[in-house]
Parts: sequence; structure tokens; C-alpha cells
Amino acid sequence: MEAADLTHHTSRRFNEDLERVRAKVLAMGGFVEQQLSQALTALIDGDSALGQSVASQDYKVNGMEVSIDEECSRILATRAPAAGDLRMVVATIKTITDLERIGDECERIGNIASRLANVERPADRYREVKHLGRTVQLMVHNMLDACARLDSTLALDTARQDRYVDEEYESIQRQCITFMMEDPRTIRRALEVMWVVRSLERIGDHAKNICEYIIYMVHGKDIRHTSLERVAEELKSEAARA
Amino acid sequence: MKLGSKPGLSASAWRGLLVQAALAVLAALLVGELTGHIGVGLAAVLGALLLRQLYLLQRVLVWLQGDRVDLAPDAGGVWGDVIGLIMRLFRRKQYHKRRMRQLLRELRHSTAAIPDGVVMLNPAAEILWFNRSAGELLHLRNRGDVGLRIDNLVRRPEFVNYLREGDYRSPVVVQASDLSEQYLHFQIVPYGAGQLLLLVRDVTRQAQLEAMRKDFVANASHELRSPLTVIAGYLETLSQDEALEPGLSGPIQEMRRQALRMTAIVQDLLELSRLEAEGAVPRGEPIDIGALLAQLRDDLRSRKTLAVEVRLAAESTDRLVGEEAQIHSACANLLENAAKYTPTGGVITMRWWSDAQGGHLSVADTGIGIAPEHLPRLTERFYRVDAGRSRASGGSGLGLAIVKHVLQRHGGSLQIESEEGRGSTFSCHFPVSRLLPAA
Repeated sequence: MEAADLTHHTSRRFNEDLERVRAKVLAMGGFVEQQLSQALTALIDGDSALGQSVASQDYKVNGMEVSIDEECSRILATRAPAAGDLRMVVATIKTITDLERIGDECERIGNIASRLANVERPADRYREVKHLGRTVQLMVHNMLDACARLDSTLALDTARQDRYVDEEYESIQRQCITFMMEDPRTIRRALEVMWVVRSLERIGDHAKNICEYIIYMVHGKDIRHTSLERVAEELKSEAARA
Repeated sequence: MKLGSKPGLSASAWRGLLVQAALAVLAALLVGELTGHIGVGLAAVLGALLLRQLYLLQRVLVWLQGDRVDLAPDAGGVWGDVIGLIMRLFRRKQYHKRRMRQLLRELRHSTAAIPDGVVMLNPAAEILWFNRSAGELLHLRNRGDVGLRIDNLVRRPEFVNYLREGDYRSPVVVQASDLSEQYLHFQIVPYGAGQLLLLVRDVTRQAQLEAMRKDFVANASHELRSPLTVIAGYLETLSQDEALEPGLSGPIQEMRRQALRMTAIVQDLLELSRLEAEGAVPRGEPIDIGALLAQLRDDLRSRKTLAVEVRLAAESTDRLVGEEAQIHSACANLLENAAKYTPTGGVITMRWWSDAQGGHLSVADTGIGIAPEHLPRLTERFYRVDAGRSRASGGSGLGLAIVKHVLQRHGGSLQIESEEGRGSTFSCHFPVSRLLPAA
């Protein structure tokens, strides 16, 4: 099994079509990345207007998903791609679904941020949420880099990051419960913060899914529901054989 | 023999050829004499000559096929000249190649040393080459990233739009990534056959200074507002005080006017900094421009001191989608300007119409007009066409700057036409996407 060379193709027009779709996916990714960053800024700075603006921009992400989806269907129907190209189209269709969900989670964080802007901010200014947010942002960024470079090593490393996100999510959850028990007045805020970290954790999961699609696209190997250690070993042995 | 001179054989070659021919004839005659058959002699000599030529040709061929140019076969006569010529051509080519390589290396070294990032892109926006600074600023990898599309790697939406829209007249400043405070200045320069040169500069410092400036203006205006209110309030009371010495009433009236003017300036500054701080208006609500203009017209007519005619031509019932308070402020500013500079008996015409290009709003007056050299700078803050003119009429000097910002936030543009002595027309153009047919 060899890494597929997805950069060359016999039919130039076909190649251009595929490249255009990929560029659109990455543009969508870039926009989602910005949405995530603005949603977190809105929460941490208590900027209600920014939070609302993030929530109201989500329709753009949905529009991009629909447009890319249509283009993929068109490629499937008219070009009947095979092997690596087929994998790319299939992976793209899955990728945009996850990207769109990331967009939805950003919308939710934006909405919560604009609600929380009116509530007093905690003394630690959402330090934990900020840290988790940065980890997730980095994950999304690296995931998109891996997608642009078709870099399965980076994709695998990024997918592994999801475990830390999950751990941190649980620790923030416990912290929130402690806060609520100590001071019932913080319950409202703590519940909202729980929703935010839940969304961040979900974004991490979606990013991990996309990383798996990238590995599938590059190597033609379905690694969902397989432990990442085994995948790493297999990729390594494959590299040794090549 | 020099390359490029008239083709022909050198004198020595001619001589060699003649000597060879003479020797051959002599040898042929000698052999003919010995054997008694002149034909056999001729055939033997010609055969020997032919073999020698073929042998030499073969050696030249072997030499040309090999890669050791310095191992040229040793041959005299015409072959020697041919070989010499080939060697000369080859050396010349090598010399040029070396020079080109050297030049290219120097060029690359110098571009690599430029502190600004440089990326060469082909028409499909794929990376052809980039220098070290660009690699560092944009986190490009030396291996593997050549041939990838730049917008796949630099995914900031502002940059992607800039690249795709193809309008490279003005640069764009973009925050490098969500995880850093770095700001990058991108400028694309088209060259050659659709190729693009992307210049990247780190402008974090400038961006910070700009942010500081905006903050300063906003804070300073805010801080000035409270003391001004107090001053204006006391002056108001004083001016109505009957017991005041008559000689002081004039100065106090003047102080009151100036205090009011300062308040107006501070208010405009605050509005301007608010406009600057916010991004584009996302959607807003549909505004009935016709009604808005009609109300402004009535306000103006109700002013007793004004003796100008105000006309309104609302030709379209289309609604403009935007922020009503801002659009109102822009229209009011335009109308205020027109009223200020139109002498008694003049006419102000407001017009609202829409076509395939979008919505258009214009305010035309028959006032004193503006000289063409002032037009480009008119929307700058505190720009005065002449010192006496607007100070007397009490403007803040920020009206048109506010109009420009409001339009920018709504995706529109301001167009100013004016003729000195005849009047001016200020037109606002809004894109089609901002229009909504009346329900």
C-alpha cells in the first residue's frame, strides 16, 4: 500500500475540478477557524456584539457546505472518479459535514458568549476555557494544514490531541460542579460554561474525524474505530517497506 | 576564424586541403606507375582517403556522444576546424550557462535576504518559489509546499477573498493567525503571463500603534465630554443672568457658541471612532430612504433662518438594508453641508433611485462649489477648503469623514462632483445586495 499521489492527473480539467473543490474546502475551513476564534474572543472579552455577529455568520458556513456538496455530486456524476480521486471526493463530502458541525458549535458558543456578556465574569476570566479553546484551535489549524499538505503524519498527531481535549473537558466539568456546590449563585454561569466546553470538546471530535478522513484519503485506509497506536504502527511499517 | 564571420575555410585549411589533394594525386600516379594500371592506383588511394574520413567521422561522433568535452580527437585539416568550432560553441554555451547560474544565484540570494517575504505564484495561485522570510512569516515548508495553492496554506478569509477577487490595487492587512497577535501586510503584484508576486510584511507594530491611536481618540473624546457639559451648562445659566454686567454678555455669548461647537466636535469624534471600531454592518433592517429624506427635508424647511428651496425626488421605493441611525447620520451630514454652503435663494435637490448597479442617493446644491484640487482630500478629518469658510459656519470638520465611514460599512462609496460657483453633488452608491424591494 503506497501513499497515493493526488497531485497529478491525466485529465487536466478533472484535476482542476478536484483542486478547486479542495481550495473551497480549505477556504471553508479558514472561515470556520475564524468563527471559532471570534466566538472564544467574544466569550473571554465579554463582547456581546461579537458573539452575535459570529452566530449570525453561520449561514455562510452552511452555504459553503451546500455549494461544495453540489460540486462533489457533479464530479461523481460526470467524471466517475476511481481509486484516489474517488477517495478524495468521498472524504471531502464527509469533511464538509464535520466542518459544518464545527460551524454550528461556534454559533452556539457565540450565542452563549453574547448571553454571558451581561453576567459578571469569573475571577479567573475563563482561564481554563481559554486554555482548552487554544488547544482546540490549534487542533483545527493543524488539521487544515494536514488537509492542505495531505500530510498523514500531521493528521495522525492532530487526531491524538483529541485525548487531551477530552481530559481537559472532564476536568473543567468537575471544576464547574465544585463551583456550583460552593456558591449556588454561579450555577447559571457554570451551566453555560459547561455548554461551551462541551461544544469545544465536540469540535475536537469533529477535527479528529476529519484527520481520519485525511489518512483515508492519502492511504486508502479506513482507520475509524481503530486505535491510533495501531494506525501509527501500520503507517510506520509501511514507510519502512517503501 | 570567428563565429559569426562569413562562413568559409581558413587559409591554412585551404592549404592543407591542397597539399592533401596533391599528395593523393602523386601517390595515385606513383602506384599507377608501379603497377601499370593507373585506375587501380586511383581506386586504392581514394579508398584509403575515404576510410580515413569515415574513421575521423566515427571518432567525432563518439566524442560528441560522450560527456568528456576536453577529450577531443586529434585531427588536422577540415576535421580539426570542425572540432575546434564545436568546442568553441560549447565553451561559449558553458560560459553563458555559468553566468546565468551565477546571476540567478545572486538574485535568489538577494531576494532571500530581503526582510520582506516574497512568494512567486503561478496563475492558479500555486507556489513556485518563496524566500526565507516568507517561509517564516507564513509557516511554509521548504520541501513539499512548492506546487501547493497559497490559499490552501494561508486560509485567513480576508486574504483568501483578496486573492480571489483579483483587485490588487490596494494591499490588505490580516491577523496572521488566531493564535498570535501578529499582523501581516499582503500585497499582490501581477507580472508576466498571469503570474503573481506576493509580498508579505510584518506590520504588528503599526497595527498596534493604529489601535492605540484609535483608543486614544476614543478615550480622549470621552474624557473631554464631561467637563465640556459642565462648562456649557454654566455658560448657559450665565447668559440668562439678568444681573450680569452688560459688557460681559457679548463674550459670554461667544464662549457659549464655542463651547457648543466643541461639544459637536467631540460628539462627531466619538461617532467616528465608534464607526472605525466596528466592522461592516452584517445585515441591519430595511430603511425607507424616501421617508427618511422627507423627514430631513421637513426639518430643514422648518428652520426659519434658512432661505433655500429643498426638493426631494424619491424615484425608487426600494428599501436600503442597513443601520438606520448611521444612514440617517450620513444623510443629515450631507444635507447640513449643502444647507451651509448654499446662499439665499439657492436650491437643494435630494434624489434616491435604484438601477442594475444598486441604490443611489444624491444631494445636489447650487452653492459656492469646491475647487477640484480639494476634492480628493475632502473626506479627511478636519480638512478645510479654506480656513475662514467652515469655521464661520461652525462645522466640526468631521461630517464627510463620518459619511465616508458609514458608506464603507455598508459596502457603498461616496462620489463628489463639484464646480466652483455652480454647486456640488454628493452621491452615495450602495451595492445591489443592500437593496430590498418595498413590501
